[in-house]
Amino acid sequence: MTWDVEPLPQSLRLDCLALRAGGTGHGRLLVSELTLHAEPGERWVLLGPNGAGKSTLLMAIAGLIAPDAGSIVLGERSIAGWRSEALARRRAWCPQFWLDPFPVSAWETVACAVLATQPQRDATTVEQLARYWLQCFDAGLLADQDVRTLSGGERQRVALATAFAQGAPLLLLDEPSSHLDWAHQRLLQRLLKQWSADKGTALVAVHDLNLAWALATHALLLDGKGGAVCGPRDSVLTAAAISAAYGVSVRLTDDGDTRWFRVDMETGE
Amino acid sequence: MTLKPPPLMLAVLVAVAGILLAFSVGLLSGSSGWGWPTHDILWLIRLPRVLAAFGTGAALALAGALIQLVTRNPLGDPHVLGVTSGASVGALLAILLLPVGVPFGSEIGAVLGALLSMTLVFSLAWRSMGRGLALSAQPGTVVVLLVGVMVGAASGAVVSFILAVADDFKLRNLVFWLLGDLNGATLWWPAWAAVALSFVLVWPRAHELDWLARGDAWAWTIGVSVARRRRIAILAACLATGAAVATAGSIGFVGLVAPHVVRLTGLRSARQLLPFSALLGGVFLVLADTVARTVVAPTQLPVGVISAAVGVPVFLTLLLRRRA
Repeated sequence: MTWDVEPLPQSLRLDCLALRAGGTGHGRLLVSELTLHAEPGERWVLLGPNGAGKSTLLMAIAGLIAPDAGSIVLGERSIAGWRSEALARRRAWCPQFWLDPFPVSAWETVACAVLATQPQRDATTVEQLARYWLQCFDAGLLADQDVRTLSGGERQRVALATAFAQGAPLLLLDEPSSHLDWAHQRLLQRLLKQWSADKGTALVAVHDLNLAWALATHALLLDGKGGAVCGPRDSVLTAAAISAAYGVSVRLTDDGDTRWFRVDMETGE
Repeated sequence: MTLKPPPLMLAVLVAVAGILLAFSVGLLSGSSGWGWPTHDILWLIRLPRVLAAFGTGAALALAGALIQLVTRNPLGDPHVLGVTSGASVGALLAILLLPVGVPFGSEIGAVLGALLSMTLVFSLAWRSMGRGLALSAQPGTVVVLLVGVMVGAASGAVVSFILAVADDFKLRNLVFWLLGDLNGATLWWPAWAAVALSFVLVWPRAHELDWLARGDAWAWTIGVSVARRRRIAILAACLATGAAVATAGSIGFVGLVAPHVVRLTGLRSARQLLPFSALLGGVFLVLADTVARTVVAPTQLPVGVISAAVGVPVFLTLLLRRRA
């Protein structure tokens, strides 16, 4: 089986975007005047201190929050102009937290996303697709397990499989590497690269600078006070910008294509 | 823990067998023991009562399953919406204030009470339901639950007041009504009609109720009209509850437990959970009512006593055995 869904190439344009905490007019200003163009095939990482607005920005792009000012345009239309069914086929949002109040198996969780965007498929195909995506994320053996009995990293992989299975070309992943061990972080990197090679776009919020470098072609660094730097990864992920955003000093080592980041921590007892 | 649903055919067969068993037991046992009843007793007394019991149980179980899905709360049941208590107030007021012998007095009172509390819950919770999206994964429907509980508490106070001022003769009627009793069930079809109408309302997009359970915001991002689905489901649950209470008074336990028992068998998706919960609730209440009217015959016990006395231990056994 192949990826099965042909992502329709579409660009994402943020123009003079302003966002406030909680998506209300009174909240703290998180982002002001952010302009960003993400083209098909690009992988963007979102970086910034806790509460800087990474999740809020992802929710705004998902269409869940109206921006305070500015516009978010996906493809040929503003985000608010799409109907939610049409939007579901264009962007997939993978939140940080999931609610599993009732017993449900992992493959059924993934199948929701398949069925929602491809209702014409028969039940067998939907189940096959769901199991296929779980296998992609090394969770094939968990397919029949109750999601409430999975470990944090296993649940995260099921969530990622759900987002990919939705078949929308724009992936909005909120801290997808949380709870993931090294092997699965590398798996995520490989799948994201394949996704963008197929003309999909990804926006990924992460905390680990080295992982960010490995995942991204482009980066957006928020400072939580309204400021933002964005562009190709090597122009954004600089010692000066990172130190200014996080308020810690960081040392960089360039090693061929790889840039290593080391944040100064206190040593000794 | 792996989850494998049972084959659907097996589930259907068990359900049909259960219905046949419940109806034959219900129709063949009477206050004088087992046996084929006379024509009049069968058609005018036993059959309407068995049908009323089945419809009431099905309505309560369906309402419970819907409320659990929509509020993402495994403890959801019709009482939570405050509709049961509202209907009780209406019925009790009718019993208290109307002269004896007014036809369908308490039934009409119950329907009015149910409608009134439904409207109250709806209008108070409307803003939060209308806006719809809770951005965190936290339950977005806490407001509905809290409003329901508050309306229920207010109704409970009114019920206590009515009981305090009622005279001894009426008190007995009132108490039986509060305990849940099918003895006074004169019409069997309103509960059936309410169940049918509720199914018509929720069935076309029932699978989306499963998606709603994973969080409002996420469900919206995969294309679900979150606010509309939830309003329709709550309306259907209120209808079913109101009809059940009007038929048989306030019967606890069925709405909470029937969906859980169905889930324990592995039928978990809404398209399976809703119909099988309704069938189980119906079968259970027919059997409970049969026990209630025969076990200490000729005295008839309120069915609420039996449903709790049998159901609670059965449910706890199932639950705890599964966990171990």
